[in-house]
Amino acid sequence: MDNFKNKKDKAIRILSEPKDSKLITHLNSCVHCGLCAESCMYYLATNDEKYIPAKKVDIISSIYQRYCTFTGKYFPVLTGSKELDEETKDEMIDLLFGACTLCGRCTKHCSIGVDISYVVRTGRQMLSEMDMVPATLQSTVNAAVQTGNNMSIPTEEFTDTLAWLEDELKNEVNDPMAAIPLNVTNTNILYTLNPREPKFFPLSISAMAKVFYAAKESWTLSTIMYDVTNYAYFTSNNEEAIIIAQRLYDEMLNLNSNRCILAECGHGSRAFRWEAPNYLRKKFPFEVITAVELLAEYISSGRIKLDKELNKEVMTLHDPCNLVREGGVIEQQRYIMKNTVCNFVEMTPHGTENFCCGGGGGQLAMSEYNERRMKIAEIKAEQIRRTGAKVVVTPCHNCVDQLMQIDNKFKLGVKIKTLAEIVADAIILE
Amino acid sequence: MKFYQLVSFTAFLICLISLSYHFFRLVKLGSPKDYSSKIGNLYSAIPYSFIGAMNPLKKESAYLHYPTYAAGILYHSGTFISFILYFLFLFSFSFSDFLQYILICGLAVSIASGIGIFIKRVSLKKLRYLSCPDDYISNLLVTAFQIFTLLATISESNATYYNIGAALLFLYLPLGKLKHSLYFFAARFHLGYYYGWRGIWPVKNHK
Repeated sequence: MDNFKNKKDKAIRILSEPKDSKLITHLNSCVHCGLCAESCMYYLATNDEKYIPAKKVDIISSIYQRYCTFTGKYFPVLTGSKELDEETKDEMIDLLFGACTLCGRCTKHCSIGVDISYVVRTGRQMLSEMDMVPATLQSTVNAAVQTGNNMSIPTEEFTDTLAWLEDELKNEVNDPMAAIPLNVTNTNILYTLNPREPKFFPLSISAMAKVFYAAKESWTLSTIMYDVTNYAYFTSNNEEAIIIAQRLYDEMLNLNSNRCILAECGHGSRAFRWEAPNYLRKKFPFEVITAVELLAEYISSGRIKLDKELNKEVMTLHDPCNLVREGGVIEQQRYIMKNTVCNFVEMTPHGTENFCCGGGGGQLAMSEYNERRMKIAEIKAEQIRRTGAKVVVTPCHNCVDQLMQIDNKFKLGVKIKTLAEIVADAIILE
Repeated sequence: MKFYQLVSFTAFLICLISLSYHFFRLVKLGSPKDYSSKIGNLYSAIPYSFIGAMNPLKKESAYLHYPTYAAGILYHSGTFISFILYFLFLFSFSFSDFLQYILICGLAVSIASGIGIFIKRVSLKKLRYLSCPDDYISNLLVTAFQIFTLLATISESNATYYNIGAALLFLYLPLGKLKHSLYFFAARFHLGYYYGWRGIWPVKNHK
């Protein structure tokens, strides 16, 4: 009991000792209008009011009211203030981990402007302080902290895979000098990977290697730290997020590369580009951009030549939430698609309005919520079906995984590809 | 100043001091320090957050709910007008018949909107699920204030009830959700700052 009280006190301190005005602003702003309901996939797919985004804000703000405000302390019934007890804690886990992909769609459409996904992440941080992160998600973080990558891929297995991919690259470009460089210092680019790539989707690594070859880029991969992901962002455990972010930061300095290119991974790119400088509390002395921006740069500067006739199938684009709505990379992927494929059809809605694939926010790692995750995926399946596309392109390996499951469950008959793959397919080698 | 005016004005001062505490607390805590490399323009994003992003065509909370959106706009307009009228009444400002007619009609529409919003909250299951007593009380108090304002606009003889209603509203305002009259602006600022820093706002090509 004392143990729970200590943990509870730590969680409440997150609310009672705000670092800036952002948290108390968003905790005091919701007016319970409920107009955010239709912006949330969970509500749309289930019509269950407990999934209304305002309810997710309410569970945190009601605790804030109870412990940090005059009204909540002395007239708790008036504002619906809540004790942080076992029941509330269970409700928090179910709603904040199990029913939110942190897609941020509700935030954009909130009538007031409450940053709902920020409040949900604060709630996750409270649960993290109480050691209440779902074990499935926490194990992914543990793997990254303990082994250096979230899939615990041994270095030998990683280098073997890359050696094989390098041979394939040499054959494909018909150049014995073509290479996938490892741990080279003073290159222009340090390229990162989502561990899903060496584990399950190695062709996306060869695709990017082919692009680098065509662009005559000076680049390297690191065997010490190549993992672009940071699942501690999803658990909102800042101490673990700092450990993971610090590793990539240190490796950039060790290899003395100019640019850190973040692989096609929505949350990974967000976590290192936008969150890591704040985890580490310093400005980075090197450039950090996403692979999407780099590909667009290569095309616009003429460093790679493309023939879009090589991509004739009807293709659509899925916008990863963390890259687009929360990361500002909105037009570059469209520019790439228009220069790379003959038949590009946008989803409705798309861009910053797009619906999540359903696998974000750590959902893919939390198997206990699989049924719910695939239920909300109906929305994405319908979006894809309406385009008539045969290929869904997405610059995010997490989304790739979820979209493949959607394809399988809803019998869409589509192929899922990354942007690098379709660019590599259209490249003309000179 | 008459006694009942003094009561309501004292309540107003208490309200002002309470909200000032919230305001200065926000100012003291300041904005989050962001160490990432900014790619957007805050000078265009923050105003966009208050203007362009509030365009009903850009928010599902508006364009999927036009009747509620319209009622909300009218209701809030009525509230602002009522607050302005409170000070005008305090200084015994008199209106022309035409202006009085316009005010009465405008407030009547606003009151109807407030009652409509209340009925919606009571009748819809999802809103009842979200609501706490504060939601109903706030709605009723503001609507009552507007009704008293309308009555006071018609006749000075209603001034006692009007000032009691105003005093109750002023005293309650800093306690519950009506604080959003202050926090709304802070929320829009933070959202504009956040999206602006990352180059997401102002939205360029996408709805």
